[in-house]
Amino acid sequence: MSGFRQIDHTADLALQLWAPSEAELLRVGARAIVSTLTGGAEVRADATRSVSVDALDGEDRLVQWLNEIIYAAVTTGFVTASADIELGATSLTATLHGEADASAKIETELKSVTYHELKLEHTGDGWCAQIVIDV
Amino acid sequence: MAAQLERISEYRYQIPKSGAMRVPGLVFASKRMVRDIRADKATDQVANVAHLPGILRASIAMPDIHWGYGFPIGGVAAFDADEGVLSPGGVGYDINCGVRLLRSDMSRPDVVGDLEEVSLAMHRAIPSGVGSKSHRRLSKRELERVLVQGAAWAVREGYGETADLAVIEEGGCMPNARPETVSERAKERGMPQLGSLGSGNHFCELGYVAEIYDERAAEAFGLRADQITIMIHSGSRGLGYQVCDESLRVMLRASAKYNIQLPDRQLCAAPLTSPEAADYFGAMGCAINFAFANRQMMTHFVREAMTEQFGDDARLELVYDVCHNIAKWERHTVDGELRRVCVHRKGATRAFGPGHPDVPEVYRDVGQPVMVPGDMGRYSYVLAGTRRAMDETFGSSCHGAGRRLSRRKASELARGRPIFQELRQQGIFVRSDSKRTVAEEIPEAYKDVADVIEVMHESGIARKVAKLVPLAVIKG
Repeated sequence: MSGFRQIDHTADLALQLWAPSEAELLRVGARAIVSTLTGGAEVRADATRSVSVDALDGEDRLVQWLNEIIYAAVTTGFVTASADIELGATSLTATLHGEADASAKIETELKSVTYHELKLEHTGDGWCAQIVIDV
Repeated sequence: MAAQLERISEYRYQIPKSGAMRVPGLVFASKRMVRDIRADKATDQVANVAHLPGILRASIAMPDIHWGYGFPIGGVAAFDADEGVLSPGGVGYDINCGVRLLRSDMSRPDVVGDLEEVSLAMHRAIPSGVGSKSHRRLSKRELERVLVQGAAWAVREGYGETADLAVIEEGGCMPNARPETVSERAKERGMPQLGSLGSGNHFCELGYVAEIYDERAAEAFGLRADQITIMIHSGSRGLGYQVCDESLRVMLRASAKYNIQLPDRQLCAAPLTSPEAADYFGAMGCAINFAFANRQMMTHFVREAMTEQFGDDARLELVYDVCHNIAKWERHTVDGELRRVCVHRKGATRAFGPGHPDVPEVYRDVGQPVMVPGDMGRYSYVLAGTRRAMDETFGSSCHGAGRRLSRRKASELARGRPIFQELRQQGIFVRSDSKRTVAEEIPEAYKDVADVIEVMHESGIARKVAKLVPLAVIKG
């Protein structure tokens, strides 16, 4: 089972993510970011974009990955619908499938995913994470 | 670990040194506010900052303190030039988020019948909202000039007057900004946004001076009762956020390299003498200048809107422009010796006292103006810096009301309520492209800034000069 939800936090915006694998967790995270950016709008998958991340560790990779999703959306209007992800030890390469020129769908400004109270855990059931986003 | 708060005087609380803290924490607050502060766990963050190498005197927290990313918002920390560190978390994502105050020759009766039109004119004049974009298409070379010259670039391009620069912190231009230390990504993110308000808690507000507390200071600041004023609150937009995010990664590696123990990842830092710190200074300087240019451009837009509406009587003069999120070299007396220290202010405002050479000559007798925005339903304040602030807080004061409710809780509270109408009934016209932002920014989401100001005033850190009440507010 994979999914995400917003949790209440004195800071700006906090999300909880869960998925059966780490790659799926990263995909869920991307969906959560896009859902927050667009207010849950429908996003087509008729364009692609490449992303690669070289991180310090798994947690840093999660933050960088999600910031890539934000960056693509706010600079070029590329809104991610899904992603094919290949994980290295602390790196990843991915092909994003999404909608180009979709700036009009973005209704919330996200500054950055932060390292604040960052959690990434591999449990018996799968993977879960908590991220806090500066809005 | 809940950091202990011990009352040392009516408005001063100490977090005693414990564990690996190098200095105590010093929190300015009233008895009533301390309850909220304790619940928020911001005191843990104040204590965490005290772990950083080279920190001087105390990890300081203003009364508007609340939980932030690593450093609390409302935090001040100064570091020794040789032993200390530079930490991007001590500046924040929105580098040089700040506020400026403009005064006019008009009074409330001159505008109160036209607020509908004026608010529309302001909303049209200033690009605002999510992804708000610049009127200008800048080349990369032009952007680099902005990053080095700040507000001076804007004035040369016709946005405002040279006289404006004298009443902006740092003269509106941070020296030693190095565009080569700013990534292409950050430049790409910022370029289309220069001269726009952004979203969240940024705003442009037309108001009036409702009360004067210090006649002499008010006169020096050019403020009088019932006078129409304009405040602009905004920062370095996407360029700043990107610079901060990228610098955190560099600083995480640097913390490991220089063996800096971090109670919280977001406190990552590098020694002030290191190349990593030099690079961050260079990039931060660019973001600071971007924000100064940003506020200068929006000043021009609102000046045009006002003269279009009211004619030349609507001339707006800049009172002052202050930064809320910044780290810079200043000279302060520590242990009886005047030293060069690196002061981090995150959600805190410089508040230099009378006589300080960095206070513009026109204000030097009374102290530096400090603008403290409240919320869009109540009031904001203008204060003056004091010599006491120089002694106790490295010349710093509070910056705003501080949030009380999370964005989610605020939205819930606002659900189904006609917020725009509620404020209109109070005589306040709010314009925004986003109902959601306005819901998250309802007055109840914020602490009462009057409580925050009382602490600053009564503790002698910053003196009350005037109270401003909103009439028309543009939210992003």
